Amino acid sequence: MSFLLACPNCGERSVYEFRSGGEFRQRPPASVSSHEWARYLYLRKNEAGETTEWWYHQLGCRSWFLAVRDTRTNLVKETYEHD
Amino acid sequence: MLQLFRTQRMWHQHDLKDHYDVVIIGAGVHGLAAAYYLGKQGIKNVAVLDRGYLGGGNSGRNTAILRANYRTAEAIPFYDESLRLYQELSQEVDFNVLFSQIGHLTLAHTDTGVDGLRVRAEANALLGVNSRLVFPEEIKSLVPAMDVSKAAHAPIQAALYHPPGGIIRHDAVVWGYARGADRMGIEIHPHTEVHAIDTDNGQISAVHTNRGRIATNTVVNATSGWCSTIARMVDVDLPIVSHPLQACVTEPLKPFLDKVIVSATLHVYVNQTDRGEVVIGAEIDPYASYNSASTLPTLEMMAAHALELFPILEEARVLRQWSGICDMTPDFSPIISTVPEVRGFILNVGWGTYGFKAGPAGGKTVAELIVTNKTPTLIEPFALSRFYEDRLVGEKAAAAVSH
Amino acid sequence: MSTTRLPPHPAHVIDHEQTLTFSFAGERIQARAGDTIASALYAAGRRTFSRSFKYHRPRGLLCGAGQCPNCLMNVDGTPSVRACTEPVRQGMRVQPQNAWPSLRYDLLSIIDRFDWLLPIGFYYKTFIRPRFFWPLAEKFLRRAAGLGEINTQAKPKGGYDHEYRYTDITVVGGGPAGLTAAHEAANLGCQVTLIDDQPKLGGHLRFQTGTYDNIGEQSGLTGFALARSLRERVTSQPNIDVLSSATVFGGYEGGLLGVMQAKRLIHLRTQRVIIATGSHEYPAVFTNNDLPGVMLGSGVRRLLHLYGVQPGTRAVVVCHDDTGWTLADELLDSGIRVAAVVDSRYRLPDAPDSVEQLQRSGVEVLTSYAIQAARGTNHVEGALVVPLDAQRNPFPHASRFIPCDLICLSTDRTPTAALVAQSGGELVYDATLGQTLPQQLPPQVFCAGDVTGIHLLPATLVQGRLAGLRAAHSLRASETSASSHIQTLQHECEALEQEYRRHYEPYPQLGHAWTSKKQFVCVCEDITHKDLAQGVAEGFDEVETLKRYSTFSMGPCQGRMCATSSARICARYAGAELATRATTARPPVTPVPLGVLAGRKHQPEKHTPLHHRHIALGAEMMLLGSWKRPYAYTTPSEEHQAVRERVGIIDVSTLGKLEVKGKDAARLLDKVYTHTFSTLRVGRIRYGVMCDDSGIIIDDGTVSRLADDHFFLTTTTGNVEFVEQWLKWWMAGTDLCAHVTNMTGGLAAMNIAGPKARQVFSQLTDTDLSSEAFSYMACRRATVAGAPALLLRIGFVGETGWEIHVPAECGEQVWDAIMAAGAGFQIIPFGVGAQRILRLEKKHVIVGQDTDALSNPLEADMEWVVKFNKDDFIGKRGLQAIQERGPRHKLVGFALRDSGMAEGGQAVVVNGQPAGRVASAAFSPTAGKCVGLAWVPVEVASGTSPFQIRINGTDAQADVIDDAFYDPQGERLRS
Repeated sequence: MSFLLACPNCGERSVYEFRSGGEFRQRPPASVSSHEWARYLYLRKNEAGETTEWWYHQLGCRSWFLAVRDTRTNLVKETYEHD
Repeated sequence: MLQLFRTQRMWHQHDLKDHYDVVIIGAGVHGLAAAYYLGKQGIKNVAVLDRGYLGGGNSGRNTAILRANYRTAEAIPFYDESLRLYQELSQEVDFNVLFSQIGHLTLAHTDTGVDGLRVRAEANALLGVNSRLVFPEEIKSLVPAMDVSKAAHAPIQAALYHPPGGIIRHDAVVWGYARGADRMGIEIHPHTEVHAIDTDNGQISAVHTNRGRIATNTVVNATSGWCSTIARMVDVDLPIVSHPLQACVTEPLKPFLDKVIVSATLHVYVNQTDRGEVVIGAEIDPYASYNSASTLPTLEMMAAHALELFPILEEARVLRQWSGICDMTPDFSPIISTVPEVRGFILNVGWGTYGFKAGPAGGKTVAELIVTNKTPTLIEPFALSRFYEDRLVGEKAAAAVSH
Repeated sequence: MSTTRLPPHPAHVIDHEQTLTFSFAGERIQARAGDTIASALYAAGRRTFSRSFKYHRPRGLLCGAGQCPNCLMNVDGTPSVRACTEPVRQGMRVQPQNAWPSLRYDLLSIIDRFDWLLPIGFYYKTFIRPRFFWPLAEKFLRRAAGLGEINTQAKPKGGYDHEYRYTDITVVGGGPAGLTAAHEAANLGCQVTLIDDQPKLGGHLRFQTGTYDNIGEQSGLTGFALARSLRERVTSQPNIDVLSSATVFGGYEGGLLGVMQAKRLIHLRTQRVIIATGSHEYPAVFTNNDLPGVMLGSGVRRLLHLYGVQPGTRAVVVCHDDTGWTLADELLDSGIRVAAVVDSRYRLPDAPDSVEQLQRSGVEVLTSYAIQAARGTNHVEGALVVPLDAQRNPFPHASRFIPCDLICLSTDRTPTAALVAQSGGELVYDATLGQTLPQQLPPQVFCAGDVTGIHLLPATLVQGRLAGLRAAHSLRASETSASSHIQTLQHECEALEQEYRRHYEPYPQLGHAWTSKKQFVCVCEDITHKDLAQGVAEGFDEVETLKRYSTFSMGPCQGRMCATSSARICARYAGAELATRATTARPPVTPVPLGVLAGRKHQPEKHTPLHHRHIALGAEMMLLGSWKRPYAYTTPSEEHQAVRERVGIIDVSTLGKLEVKGKDAARLLDKVYTHTFSTLRVGRIRYGVMCDDSGIIIDDGTVSRLADDHFFLTTTTGNVEFVEQWLKWWMAGTDLCAHVTNMTGGLAAMNIAGPKARQVFSQLTDTDLSSEAFSYMACRRATVAGAPALLLRIGFVGETGWEIHVPAECGEQVWDAIMAAGAGFQIIPFGVGAQRILRLEKKHVIVGQDTDALSNPLEADMEWVVKFNKDDFIGKRGLQAIQERGPRHKLVGFALRDSGMAEGGQAVVVNGQPAGRVASAAFSPTAGKCVGLAWVPVEVASGTSPFQIRINGTDAQADVIDDAFYDPQGERLRS
């Protein structure tokens, strides 16, 4: 784990300063079927390619942001705060 | 003994046919074992495809540790069966897979850790698996080179000792199954990458590869690192996130350690091979990735933690580090099952960091599933449907470093 | 065998005047200052440096540069040290490895005679039946394994360190290419770090005594003089940092280089990297090519020119280009007889003068010849050479024997390019040069010098300048003058490269498979040409599988000596094209000690603000997560008794402490806890459980409302970081507005509890502590012993008590005040041991100990904290589903019927099967027996009959107990 990640607040840092929060997903409303809820809980795209995911700058500004990263190369295309 | 001086090809090259009864994707231990046991049951028109070379994925990247001392009543019988098959494998495939049952120790450094090991010891005892709690004095006699002193940063309080556990030559297992399958007429096709899978009315109908189209009604997804990608070809999403897992090996040293040592607290496992190399493994990297480039911080962590257990190794030199991609499920248990929406699509995936241990049992049960069209009892708890029925397996509680 | 030192020469790195002594296998050896162990041993006449891994064959010096496995020795207890690069220190103790009883007579060398019994894949094909055969055989084989020995009794030496650096451009390699590149890049104003693995910059030029032409102004200089000139130019540039005797062992993501310098690991982040790592020679494959006396040309040069050691008395030089001719000259100049120069080239391109010159000196010049075998028992006694036809095939019957004691191989070289592959470049086989060369370099990576496959100094210098300019220009595009310069150099470079390629003729690959003679490909693992051919025939016809089957390249040299030969042999027998991509170049590039990687022993542990008090009191400390906490000061049972009967104080600073403040603080807490907090009155406390979206418990703690928009949360020890992230995550991207601040390190916390707690505590504060004024589950700010404090009236241990939070720096003052005020009541500090019993008697659950990764509050006996009637909260949907399906198992209190003791982790047994587990258990002095919490099937939980716990193999009877074992109505707690 040594690639670089640009925190929207702090700038480019070693990924060692961050914690990964996994792929970004929309939480469905509680009204969905239990089948849909189970899909939300457990299923993941697990994309071999560009994926949008949560990162937390643990050794920095201690806030969450989103990053678009290619999981095959670990190259980060962009990072931004969720609005 | 005579075969020693006879040159026989282990397996043969074939042209890709346009139809097979079963197409297995992934020529690792799971795929090849499935092929082998299918052949034993008379299904021989089988192709095993791999995008790379034989055993080039996690089958050749894991640290080859075998054990059956799991935590739950679901997992224990399954891995126990696998261990039993491994014990007989050299004779079964007439190829020495170099299984060394040197014994396996899982260390606990905290009170809760000891309780966790006790859960396993008690469940193992009740289900007939040989494992028991041992305490520092006995640990010292089993592993004299290890620091079991109270002065250690995280002193070892107890260990789960599992005498039948050990290490095996992982490549030999792959080659043994491959040769066995080849001799029954099953075809192994390296460098054959699957691009698409066709279905017809919810039934598997064909597989498209870089070498052409294959008609088939049954596809086994026995890949690791790529199982989500393959499953998506038939619109199936999996509860899997792929993480790199790293390991390293030192220069060969004269023997000083003849047990497999695992510490979840220190996130590390250590053993010495028959060649004298010390193999050190880490826990999975803390983010999803398909990039198998090794990293420096993980190497440093492995070194630091290995030295906590074996301070005498400070001058042992690391020769190589490498990584594999592990498919982690939410409950640290595999998915071996059919998929209701796609008939003829069989999953043997989600093997996390424990896949190699399960190769023979995984292959055998998948073969049985195909032949009988019924789910064998041993793998009932590992169906994909468990995620929809809130029946997750309790192995997660024993996880972290579960080698 | 005795060897003479050559007379002093300016290229020498040794001090001829200063002698050192060290011991080798117990014998005293004299060295000169600057010698390596190997050069000193060689000078002392030693020729066998190790015994080989499998056959225990004698092995001599081969590369002289730390690249091969032939001189691994134990030095002062450190195993597998490369003797050819390790400097001699006065009094050091050197021992050979893998030989018994001695290097000269190794009993296991008998294996060499039975090699026909050990074909490739031997173990896979033997010891199969009967089954017990293998474990027996393995025990023996295991004992014979390994090379270096670890002293299991030794104390760690330590002294390792880590360092972090940043730079614009890193140049790896301090030879002519690297020196030139660094100079150019620094000239353009970049910060350059130049890293070289030798003690002195200059690369191979340091041991070149011949002169160079066609290198511009510096034409006519000898190699070592040119090295000095380039070195001085670089060291005078202030923006070049030079790291000597440092090895870049790995290229990692994000421009991170792993650098080892002695016991130091340097993490170097670089924006650009210029790889000028050069190339190295490796042995040609022929019969007995591992015999001591067979040496790589560069190794011979090192001995001659760096250490002034005469490498032999009568040499045969085998080559395929002019390098061999110069070497022959240099040998002659040093007074060594050269029996023959064996050049594989069919026709010599130029320099007939040198042929005549050599012939005049008595050297036989054999062109279109190659070496077929080395002869000799323990050392080279001669070379068998063979003429080649126009197709480069040998005429075996025309072979000739030339007596000699040194065979110099200037035959094959391969770029030292692992770093290229690790930095994202590709290594592709180049048929003209017979080497695997860097291709497709990523934009931040540049190559120069021998690593590009061109072993020609004029080209190297141009490539170096070009790489330096390009790297600098890519960082400083404003330097427009550079671009035209780059173009000119580019043309010059291409012309030189083309010229080189036109004349290049790789050394022919001769070895043949079906001979009983050993032609080694991999010297680390004793893999022969025949082994590889056999492996291919068995179906291992790709380099990767052949590598795994034969284990070539897996030894200490990491494939340096064998990777190219093996790939060629594999391709030859597989009838395939040579694999274009080389096998994976995994880091580290050079072996790195675990100690260097681990660095300084650094195991952070957290101490509470009261730590020194516990130490002074002689507490037995334990590790909880990363915290050190007192387990007991006396004994848990004694402390338990004091709390129940009098008063005790416990340090609870390890609790996670968070402040949540803001207009939506209450809404946030309603969302993440299963309980409701918007209804909590200011000044009151409520217990809360957090679940994830599937309903699994992730944390618990108390929530105190300090103001409408201000809450104080406690979390379980070690989990505060996670809870902080969890709260922030559920706020990210929503309209919720609140601040979450982690106060854990800033506050000391202690809990005073017991029937006398009020009497003690009231001495220290003006706050009315009466039940009426300060009731159970109330919170209040107060001054305690002069310190500003937050008081929480809660009772984890089941007695009247207050949790006192004060600024960390006031912790000791308040602790001391409480101890003083309590002295009259015989107050005692109590630890985790007593606390565990106290809370078990109250059936209080500890999240993380009694619950696991699949526990939910409905099954963990906490239904009352789940408020389904409030709006959506995290876990609601999951908990509803669990409620619908009904509980499958339950966490229950239990008491053992008999006098036995249960322990956490023991199995609850139903019909002989594991059906649950003991979560916690302890002997309760109050109940007079063992009590605890256990996970049991729901039928057991709701049943009236006892259940069974397996204790040491027998089943003990336990009863489910619904109420707390102590003060079930909570009267003492509220009093």
